[in-house]
Amino acid sequence: MSQINYRTINIDQLDPESSANFPMETLLPATLPQPETSSDAANVATQVRQLLRGGDTEGALRHVLDTAPLGGDDRAKEVHLATVIEVLQGIRQAEMTRVLEGVCGADGGAERADCLMKYLYKGMSAPAPSSGAQSPRKTVSPQETGFSQVQARNVGEGGGGQQMSVLLNWHEKLVELTGTGSIVRVMTDRRTV
Amino acid sequence: MSQSLRPYLQCVRSSLTAALAISNFASQTSERHNVPEIEAQTSPELILNPLTVSRNAEERVLIEPSVNSVRVSIRIKQADEIEHILVHKFTRFLQQRAESFFILRRKPIKGYDISFLITNVHVEAMLKHKLVDFIIQFMEEVDKEISEMKLFLNARARFVAESFLTPF
Amino acid sequence: MATPQVHHLFHAPIADHSFSSDKQTLAVARENNVELYQSSGNKFALSDELKGHEKTVTSVDIAPNSGRIVTCSQGYSCLQTVMPMSGRRPPLAGSPPLVLLRINRAATFVRWSPSEQKFAVGSGARVIAVCYFEEENDWWISKHLKKPIRSTITTLAWHPNSVLLAAGSTDSHARVFSSFIKGIDSRPEPSAWGERLPFNTICGEFLNDSAGWIQGVAFSPSGNALAFTGHDSSVTVVYPSAPEQPPRAMLNISTRLLPLNSLIWNGENEIIAAGHDCEPFRFHGDESGWQLAGSLEKQTGDGSGPREESALNMFRQMDLKGQTQVDTKLKSTHQNTVNTVRVYEEAGGQVRSFSTSGVDGRVVVWTV
Repeated sequence: MSQINYRTINIDQLDPESSANFPMETLLPATLPQPETSSDAANVATQVRQLLRGGDTEGALRHVLDTAPLGGDDRAKEVHLATVIEVLQGIRQAEMTRVLEGVCGADGGAERADCLMKYLYKGMSAPAPSSGAQSPRKTVSPQETGFSQVQARNVGEGGGGQQMSVLLNWHEKLVELTGTGSIVRVMTDRRTV
Repeated sequence: MSQSLRPYLQCVRSSLTAALAISNFASQTSERHNVPEIEAQTSPELILNPLTVSRNAEERVLIEPSVNSVRVSIRIKQADEIEHILVHKFTRFLQQRAESFFILRRKPIKGYDISFLITNVHVEAMLKHKLVDFIIQFMEEVDKEISEMKLFLNARARFVAESFLTPF
Repeated sequence: MATPQVHHLFHAPIADHSFSSDKQTLAVARENNVELYQSSGNKFALSDELKGHEKTVTSVDIAPNSGRIVTCSQGYSCLQTVMPMSGRRPPLAGSPPLVLLRINRAATFVRWSPSEQKFAVGSGARVIAVCYFEEENDWWISKHLKKPIRSTITTLAWHPNSVLLAAGSTDSHARVFSSFIKGIDSRPEPSAWGERLPFNTICGEFLNDSAGWIQGVAFSPSGNALAFTGHDSSVTVVYPSAPEQPPRAMLNISTRLLPLNSLIWNGENEIIAAGHDCEPFRFHGDESGWQLAGSLEKQTGDGSGPREESALNMFRQMDLKGQTQVDTKLKSTHQNTVNTVRVYEEAGGQVRSFSTSGVDGRVVVWTV
């Protein structure tokens, strides 16, 4: 018993009535779609690739946004994210505005726009800061930050610049179309993609 | 301004504008307290989904919104070891004087170089769009500052090396 | 549209404001005090200060008929004062009546019921205290609406029958409760919200798909529709069908704006809302659908328009001069977030003018 330091126990965690134990699932609407697995997401990916090959970029984007696995597990979401990014990268910059207007202008377009916004942010957050290379440098004390410190570090423009600039371009176009409201909904919506 | 920087800053700007919709909110966990919920992390429903804006793997901004405060963390571009040292020294210098910057956080959150904590008090006392401008301007300036310092440092190093080697 | 009347009172946030029924007195919540302003000419001059709260005052409401002022603060106290009559202005005599709230967190919102027999106080203790006067003890006692609130109450609105109470909370639900108190209220007419309404009946519980904190709620003038605005930048209108039934229609208007903080109805087919975009917006519609009709600000166009432009200008300026251009003034009348929208003048449910107050220390009266 002596191992437990009672002073460090967060008693709020143990109280079911405490606000620290807010039931987050109550924030999900009843209309949440059925849970999807990664194989469902992979199926969607194949369909979308077919549409892309057929040159129907607008249809591909619409389909991929309509089938977002809001209730899926992490694996399914990851697979789907890859598909969305593939579609976004497959659309030329000159066509972006036209495709967006087509996808977000039609019936249910507002939801699609919000969904796309979620994917843009998710896409940008995807490569988590390479903690392996990061953490040692955070602990370096000022004295040691001398020139001797030549550890291998992922330097330069970094990877993923190409993909990010595609996402940033999409983001800009989408904000023009749907305003900041769409970004606000990315933050509030607990149905993450 | 370089072509790829503009959409990045534009994206940070619109994300920040959206996140800064904050209001006065008293703590619901402790009596008579009013704390930034993003730091307290006591009520999950008062914290919104974080937003990440990245330009590439090395440059990114993390925006963590909550009901009465927003935490903005920036990872500054560091192309090589020298820049890494310069960024470290520079942000350290600023953070030691954090109280003069009002919104600056004394410690960056993990994985980032510098963090700002904007609360409802700041948004009430200052103009919201100007706060956004400030962060954007900071992001622009800091890149410029670091590359300038690097040039300066190199020039000085060259000069020092020259005068050191002249006798030989 | 006439130019809005702007009263710039001070440089501090106004958490809430309330006009007396004769529009001669304006009460505003400023930090730990409530300030009373008297109208003189077309200006408002500070006449009195109500002190007594030890924390930020969050809400103030003047009962239109009795002139009683009720205020509440984050120090979880609630004060009631009888308003000094305009003109004669006797001092705020005597100790204010005692109000027993029995809450232990911040009081966030207070509103008189239309009957003025009760008032409701929302709080961070996850309860709504419905307060009524108890003759024999000479105090205002409260009954708590508790279930199923899971987070801080941010806003409240009374149904015209003084029994139903709508509440918005940071658990993203807008709820309609019955606050029927025996001996105070007369039995309400059965409506689409419910027939028998004992205390703490939940007549409706609504959640948006994108689940933002609810910032503002309002019943339509007839009481047969409820509108609420959330932190997801949307306004939702609910038309109940019958007790215990799902609503006939629940219409969500998601906008491209920043979140809206407060809203009022103008008739049954128009809603006016304002918030973080610093200007009021109009929504039109009915049961078949609602849409954003535009800003009430003079220059039309969406709020993000001028801002994007100023960003562009800023970059251009920085390019040319290496400094930002001085664009400290927003184009809207309010220079910061609008916190409260209230009806100023109305006739038969039609709003002729309304007032807004915000973080910039301004109270603005707008003509519709």
